[in-house]
Amino acid sequence: MSRRYAIASESSAIVYFGTTIDPLISQEVQKAYQALKAKNQEGFYEIIPSYASLMVSYDVMRFDFDTVCEIIENSIHQAEALTLSEPKIITIPVYYGREVGLDLELLAQEKNLSVEEIIALHVKGLYTVYAIGFAPGFAYLGEIDERLATPRLASPRKAVPKGSVSIADRQTAVYPTQSPGGWKVLGRTPTAMFDASYEGLSLLHVGDHVRYESISKEEFLKLGGEL
Amino acid sequence: MNGFIVENGGLQSSIQDAGRRGFSDIGLTQSGAMDEMAFGYANLLVGNAFNTPAIEIAMGGASFKARSEMCIAICGANMQPTCNGHKIALWQTHLLRRGDVIAFDFANEGQFAYIAVAGGFQTPFAYGSYSTSLKEGLGGVEGRKLKSGDLLHTFGNRCPVDRRKLERKFIPKYPDTITVRLVKGYQEAMFDPKSQETFFNSVYTFKGEGDRMGYRLSGEKVVPTHTGILSEPICYGAVQVPSHGEPIVLLKERQTIGGYPKIGSVIAVDCFKLAQLKAGGNVKFKEVSLKEAQRAMRAFYTFFKAQEA
Repeated sequence: MSRRYAIASESSAIVYFGTTIDPLISQEVQKAYQALKAKNQEGFYEIIPSYASLMVSYDVMRFDFDTVCEIIENSIHQAEALTLSEPKIITIPVYYGREVGLDLELLAQEKNLSVEEIIALHVKGLYTVYAIGFAPGFAYLGEIDERLATPRLASPRKAVPKGSVSIADRQTAVYPTQSPGGWKVLGRTPTAMFDASYEGLSLLHVGDHVRYESISKEEFLKLGGEL
Repeated sequence: MNGFIVENGGLQSSIQDAGRRGFSDIGLTQSGAMDEMAFGYANLLVGNAFNTPAIEIAMGGASFKARSEMCIAICGANMQPTCNGHKIALWQTHLLRRGDVIAFDFANEGQFAYIAVAGGFQTPFAYGSYSTSLKEGLGGVEGRKLKSGDLLHTFGNRCPVDRRKLERKFIPKYPDTITVRLVKGYQEAMFDPKSQETFFNSVYTFKGEGDRMGYRLSGEKVVPTHTGILSEPICYGAVQVPSHGEPIVLLKERQTIGGYPKIGSVIAVDCFKLAQLKAGGNVKFKEVSLKEAQRAMRAFYTFFKAQEA
């Protein structure tokens, strides 16, 4: 697979592994990310993976662009021989009640499906963490069943409640804290996505697999969920 | 007890250092002083290391009461600071006595002012930095802007033996029209030659649409050939152009990932200047080579490192 290196800024280099959301491309990104993290290169301040690209922000007192690209390329070559560690599978409990699934009914109408069918389709998938961004611990998961694919709200909400389990296009995600946002909300999880007690602070990491599990209102409340 | 009590937090004051590093991959923003130059000078004057946390005052309106003797310096935007009602100068050290009140009016030049105190502020260290991320509610005082009654403890009350003043030639100006240098890259190819010509030959106005995340500029529209790209990591200074065609320069509290085409990135030292631009100010973009951009960045940090030695 061909890679393209580009200048992002005077202290950042970005490498493109492709231009589409694709599990194979994502795996390339993850390998490079894992290899670079393991290398722990002094002066590499940030190593940020996304769907098909990875950016390194570096110390300009120590490196120039070409040297940084060489180090990244070497790490990728070394990583090519390795297989990715088995993805961790994390189960996220979701209460799909109508009082927390703010867009369930509307989506059902739009898609000509019952609310139960929507929940069933959402729970069925095993999703990959493609990227983390937007907010601390906000993981972009893909891809949801084509029948659920939906555009963002025309007018984003000013405050999406913490723990909201949501979808947009063919992606799904959990809002780690209350924040503005336009993804359509199907339910709510009591699980914290971002917490100082987690290794690496975030529940999910790029490459992890996620399953949603439907729980009752009682279980949701027992697990510390807030309505 | 050493330090300040916040009498009035003003529009938006917060504790900042040079920013947070190494957590972008889990979505934590960089944060940090919007103008590292004024921030750096403030610390330099009181004998602190470059990356010592300071108070960042945005726009003005804040006041603080000293709870102990302390040595401070105020640098950056001119908010006509006073001590017990008497005007005091920027860009030099001041010795405060217990009970002294320093107050700030609204900025008539620049946007951000910094108060450094000898020894530095003693706020909690959060994820590798003292910086407040207002968006994420992290760092500083409970992750929020300062408010009346907040106590800002300082490390000791170490004072430089001499009073220090920044030489006039080093004092930056905050004019209403600035030129910022930009390194092309990213999705440069998504902007055809005509768009690029428009971009580099236009004067953009900052109408005040912006915050610590980034500044949106108004002016000649530049339309990328694609409306969106696959979400990718975003660096400091990145100039993204959404479909409305007006550039947004992403600054310290930017999101870590985004999906708009970018024409390039404003170099860090010019982002500091841009941060100080008042609403109504004008911006011109000028392309520079990567080598030149890196030279400027190295010169900046070499200067401050050399002062620490």
